[in-house]
Amino acid sequence: MAQSQSSEAKTGYMLVAPPLLYAVLLLAAPLATVLIYSVLTGENGAVSLPMTTENFTTVWTGRVYQAIMARSLYVSMLVTLTTVLLAYPIAYFVSFHVRPERKALWLFLITIPFWTSYIIRVALWRTILGYNGIIDSTLIGLGVTSEPLNILSYGVVSIIITLAHAYAPFAVLPIFVSLEKVDRALLEAGQDLGESRWTTFLRVTLPLSMPGVIAAVLIVFIPTVGDYVTPELIGGGKVPMIANMIEIEMLKKRDQAMGSAIAVTAMSIVAIVSILFVLLNKRFIGGTK
Amino acid sequence: MTFSEDKPVMIEFRDVHKYYGDYHALRGIDGTIKAGEFFSLLGPSGCGKTTLLRTIAGFEGISSGVIMIDDRNMAGVPANVRPTNMVFQSYAIFPHMSVAENVGFGLRRDPRTKAEKAAAVEEMLAMVGLTGYGDRAAHELSGGQRQRVALARALILKPKVLLLDEPLSALDKKMREHMQVELIKLQRQVGITFILVTHDQEEALVMSDRIAVMFEGGIAQLADPETLYRRPNSKQVAEFIGTMNFVPATILSEVGGKVEIEAKGLGKVTLDETQSPPPRGEEPVVGLRPETLTLLFPGQTTSERKVDGLIDEVIYFGDMTYYDVYLGGTDVEVRLSMRNVPGRPILDVGTRVEVAWSPEALVLFR
Ligand SMILES: Nc1ncnc2c1ncn2[C@@H]1O[C@H](COP(=O)(O)OP(=O)(O)O)[C@@H](O)[C@H]1O
Ligand SMILES: [Mg+2]
Repeated sequence: MAQSQSSEAKTGYMLVAPPLLYAVLLLAAPLATVLIYSVLTGENGAVSLPMTTENFTTVWTGRVYQAIMARSLYVSMLVTLTTVLLAYPIAYFVSFHVRPERKALWLFLITIPFWTSYIIRVALWRTILGYNGIIDSTLIGLGVTSEPLNILSYGVVSIIITLAHAYAPFAVLPIFVSLEKVDRALLEAGQDLGESRWTTFLRVTLPLSMPGVIAAVLIVFIPTVGDYVTPELIGGGKVPMIANMIEIEMLKKRDQAMGSAIAVTAMSIVAIVSILFVLLNKRFIGGTK
Repeated sequence: MTFSEDKPVMIEFRDVHKYYGDYHALRGIDGTIKAGEFFSLLGPSGCGKTTLLRTIAGFEGISSGVIMIDDRNMAGVPANVRPTNMVFQSYAIFPHMSVAENVGFGLRRDPRTKAEKAAAVEEMLAMVGLTGYGDRAAHELSGGQRQRVALARALILKPKVLLLDEPLSALDKKMREHMQVELIKLQRQVGITFILVTHDQEEALVMSDRIAVMFEGGIAQLADPETLYRRPNSKQVAEFIGTMNFVPATILSEVGGKVEIEAKGLGKVTLDETQSPPPRGEEPVVGLRPETLTLLFPGQTTSERKVDGLIDEVIYFGDMTYYDVYLGGTDVEVRLSMRNVPGRPILDVGTRVEVAWSPEALVLFR
């Protein structure tokens, strides 16, 4: 028994070895590099000793850095909120109101935005939201407004629209899965015990779907904090976020140590927020089977 | 005859029909359920018991007809304001809540203070035998405990009618028998009308004041257990509830409710009106339960009628022995309890015996 277990373990290690190697080379090694760079002194595109914490002091106390970090968090939280609020009703509709044999088709349709590349979608949003873009010309054509709105110029709003659209399917799927797991008899039980459809939703369906909601929050929040393309192309560089700042430090100022320190700081913030959410999730999962 | 007769009506069905698309699930349900009654809906799987129960709860609308609960027409009354509560087949315990939160779920709009509600929950838990389980998570409970939580959660709202959909079918045999007794006691204690759905005829007979036997979306017979057992109104009901011998018969005469027949192997018998339910245009047969028959052992006499027979088959069960006896033209099953006749030998196949039977035990189906 013990022998077969250890030989089974060996086979297991053999099986995971190639992807493990891949993960070490492509994830752990760069991560370690960034960590090491962040405590070195950087100049002219190179790093050198001595070790120092000065980079972090600058990042954590510098006004500009703080402001951009705060804005990154603020924008990605807004994006997350918008995305999850939009995704929930879609997931709910597909789970509760679409006939079982049609659900797969609906989920398939929801993934259609992925059929074009992210960059192309961002570019399309520029055309839609921009000065005299599709929205402007439509509204002017309908006589709703006479001046172009140029939504693109409200940096944050257009970033939110673009990112929410990009991440919606990622948010729909985990919420859908958690809603599918809600025993429909529980909803009848809720109504049987005197609650309306709406209050049953609040007291039964919503709490039981929280694991999916929290998964959706993490899936959207983590990548959007570090998103580079959208703020660059949609925000017109006027609303830089962390990733843009890292780019400036690393490539424009050629200070890789500072860039690394910002990256490490950003990762820490994301990690802390994520851990908080995972802990929150535990509360809900703890109650379910 | 039974205690139900003088009770006020709690639920009344008037020609209730229910269609699922083209499928006619309820086909003209009529009948009443009395206040404080332990009532069962009994029938084979798929006959519409759950559907009928769900129309009472308000989870399912009806296509035509009227359902009255406590003199109120339930048309358009949603489930959450009906004076009914349900114990679901799956129990439907809220997995994200503790036992106490589950039991107190329906008390949200109750004007009582938090402390009073907590006391009510405790009292309810004590009633179903779950004192001290309030803080347990729902998933830590066994099947029987989940069922008790479901019961407590429904009863705490003091409904006029408690609906139970096959509540015992998920339990093992021992637990099931135990819960049958508990449920009967609980019902007597709270005095609420219980409507139990079951496909288990024994369970229905043991627990109910009255039973509606359902086949294919209709009520075949609505009666107390004894009437149902002794005087089934059709072959179908007779076969569904227990075992019955059917003996071909010819009708000789019919005068003022009394029917004289000639039953194969048994001879001429006169039956009164309770023994001859309304005709349905079938070949006439008389039914008699195997345990109403007895075998006469040498030296034994009887005040009942007797007929000669030959033992065809013997099945020994320990406390019971089943005999197949050939009675000139027909075979009947005879069930003898060994309890009252210690030391009596098991008879062999081929033994000639006398079978004693009583004309009162017969029911005519035609
Ligand atoms: N929601 C529904 N849609 C279509 N047919 C249904 C539905 N619910 C029940 N039925 C059908 O109605 C019949 C009675 O079902 P049900 O009341 O659940 O039977 P029982 O509880 O007696 O086993 C069955 O043939 C079942 O297939
Ligand atoms: Mg059923």
